Amino acid sequence: MNKNVILYAAILIFGLAAPFVFPAFKVQLSILCVLIVLATTWNIQGGEMGYNTFGNILFYGLGMYLCASVQVGMFFPLAEWTESGGEKTFVHTPTQFFQGMAAGLVVAAVVPTIVAGLIGYAILGLRGHYFAICTLGLGVAAGEISGGIEIIGAGQGFTTPPFPNVGGLEARGEFFYFLSFGALVLTFIAVRAIYSTRFRLILNAIRDNEDKAEAMGIETMKYKIIGWMVSAFFCGLAGGIMGGLVGYIDSTDVAFDGREMGVFMVLMAILGGKGTLWGPVIGATVFHIFKEGFWTFFLGWQYVALGVLIVVIVIYFPEGIMGWLREKYPERFGEVVDEADRKAQVELK
Amino acid sequence: MKINKIILSFISAVAILLSTSAVSFAKVVGDKIVLGAAISLTGKYSSNGVHTQNGYNMAVDRINSMGGVKVGGKTYKFEIIYYDDESNPKRAAQLAERLISQDGVEFMLGPYSSGLTKAIAPVTEKYGVPMVEANGASRSLFTKGYKYLFAVLAPANLYLDVAIRTAVELNGGKGVRIAQAFEQDAFSQDVRLGILDAAKETGSEIIIDDKLPKELNDMAATLVKVKQMKPDVLVVSGHTKGALTAIRQIAEMKVDVPMLAMTHCDAAKLSKQHGKNSQYALCASQWHKTLTYKDNFFKDGMTYAADFQKEFGYDPPYQSAESSAALLVFKDAFERANSFDQKKVRDALAATNMQTFYGNIKFAPGGQNVDKPMVLFQVMCDGAGKCENKVVAPLKWASAKLIHPIPKWSDR
Repeated sequence: MNKNVILYAAILIFGLAAPFVFPAFKVQLSILCVLIVLATTWNIQGGEMGYNTFGNILFYGLGMYLCASVQVGMFFPLAEWTESGGEKTFVHTPTQFFQGMAAGLVVAAVVPTIVAGLIGYAILGLRGHYFAICTLGLGVAAGEISGGIEIIGAGQGFTTPPFPNVGGLEARGEFFYFLSFGALVLTFIAVRAIYSTRFRLILNAIRDNEDKAEAMGIETMKYKIIGWMVSAFFCGLAGGIMGGLVGYIDSTDVAFDGREMGVFMVLMAILGGKGTLWGPVIGATVFHIFKEGFWTFFLGWQYVALGVLIVVIVIYFPEGIMGWLREKYPERFGEVVDEADRKAQVELK
Repeated sequence: MKINKIILSFISAVAILLSTSAVSFAKVVGDKIVLGAAISLTGKYSSNGVHTQNGYNMAVDRINSMGGVKVGGKTYKFEIIYYDDESNPKRAAQLAERLISQDGVEFMLGPYSSGLTKAIAPVTEKYGVPMVEANGASRSLFTKGYKYLFAVLAPANLYLDVAIRTAVELNGGKGVRIAQAFEQDAFSQDVRLGILDAAKETGSEIIIDDKLPKELNDMAATLVKVKQMKPDVLVVSGHTKGALTAIRQIAEMKVDVPMLAMTHCDAAKLSKQHGKNSQYALCASQWHKTLTYKDNFFKDGMTYAADFQKEFGYDPPYQSAESSAALLVFKDAFERANSFDQKKVRDALAATNMQTFYGNIKFAPGGQNVDKPMVLFQVMCDGAGKCENKVVAPLKWASAKLIHPIPKWSDR
């Protein structure tokens, strides 16, 4: 347990010091935190529960629009803010900005949770590919619908309130970094706590054999819905932060960005190793580093390079980085390997 | 708990990686002025992104070869750092941060499209980085109180305003029935608002008001309605893909409409790609090569077009011309400011009042160019099927007479 403390302390110190040690990378680091949150929460469905969802982007986008809408709507008429030809200019005072952001983030987390409960009740009865395709539709539909709602800017997009004039040049970057780092820590602690309870075992039982789990007397539907609501809570939160960080919300390219974020969260979890606590964290970090690298060094070919990376992952690391490590060094994962027994088994084959 | 060791070593690896890659460039290195630009090299705006980049490069080469920029008695040359924003606003905002905080760029050129400019403007504004942009026309860009944003082009709501007014005039001053279809993006929606304003003022009626999805390649549903309801004017705006899709399907479905007004015809190379099918289409344009504006670098529109053709192998669309103009504006501002201080350059930009081959440039307090009207051209073909864009409005620049109404498909 002692070593665990050292590990977490090291991560925390790294996280808190990072924006000051690497000031130029604040935005990338903030986005990394958001990516880790998304990968970790996707893993609750995709990894632990065996339900491959493409619908988590729905909660992310919902959170983004809600947070920005609340932040504006609390102080100014929202319709006038988003109206493109609007001649009026609204400026948030620092207090308004931070109050709005705080309230916005609460709404951004809570409403998607409720939505997840309702939608989950309707569609979590679907299994396998049917569930995956159904959730894929959710994100696409949300993008198209939100692109037609005038009050949130429709096709014009939604400019989120600019950061108020407090602190130095770096204040905005630091604010959003610590916000996203905070969300990451919160998510990690929550997920870790959940994984240490019977809840994780139930999710695993659903993944391994849902019918049997039901026969054992587990109300699978209830747990599936709760699991999805947990994901939605943190996805919404991440979305709200990301909206403020990017500064401009577009219905299909930023908020309900199923093509990028929606796919990336799955990729990151698989790359790191789904069904593990640390897998999505490591996967997201490696993925982000590669992605940024490709964007710098293979300009114009970045998606080709990314594609090659994905192929390599699928062929050589089908179980993800954590799965690969586990196979290679099982004793480091607390598995007892009896060398003689292992040899005997190999010889038997 | 050996797994901790793995994770710990992983974290340290990340830390080392970050610290080694933190290289920063200064904006003015030696005799170079480094400008930053996020451009759509991939994604839905890639063709216009390339037009923009070609326009920038053309002007950089020209200015550098003609003596560069003289500041404080020294001569500097322009250089541009490009990144690919993938036509994605989220990416564009990140890249702007990166250009400024990692690459140390102190002056920016705009991306392609209003949406991406909207995403970048808050970032450049925050750092006080002057940005001259040539491809973000949405009106809402100029009502946010941005101080470091300068656009060399006319705002989007004016794009097709002329077309509606012309149609009303030809209708004897009575309102017309308008059918319109616009892509769901910042620019096209702003063009739509412009039409709504024009319709209101002229007493015209909007009978079809459709929204088209992004990256559209089918608008048959709208065209079926147009066939049924027979409007006087059909307005379509959806960047390059919108223009290409509209012409393709109008020809396929033989839709007859007296006036067809669009945007992005020249970027889509309509007259080349669709030949006679695109005939009679009316197109809003920021610039046309036959306009008679002049400057010392490119001489005039015709010379620019010829030089561009030689360099890149195609006729320059207005997206390239306005992008080239952005650099002329920067050069002029640097020399007048006689300094690389961002604030001074910003003030010099705000005081810009010049003529380029692309048009007059003078910025309103909001940052938009108020000294350059839009032009409207019509695709006209000769008997041999060779098609050309001819300016038909405003009358001052017109090189041909507007053909109205468009002949029916059965008579062509």
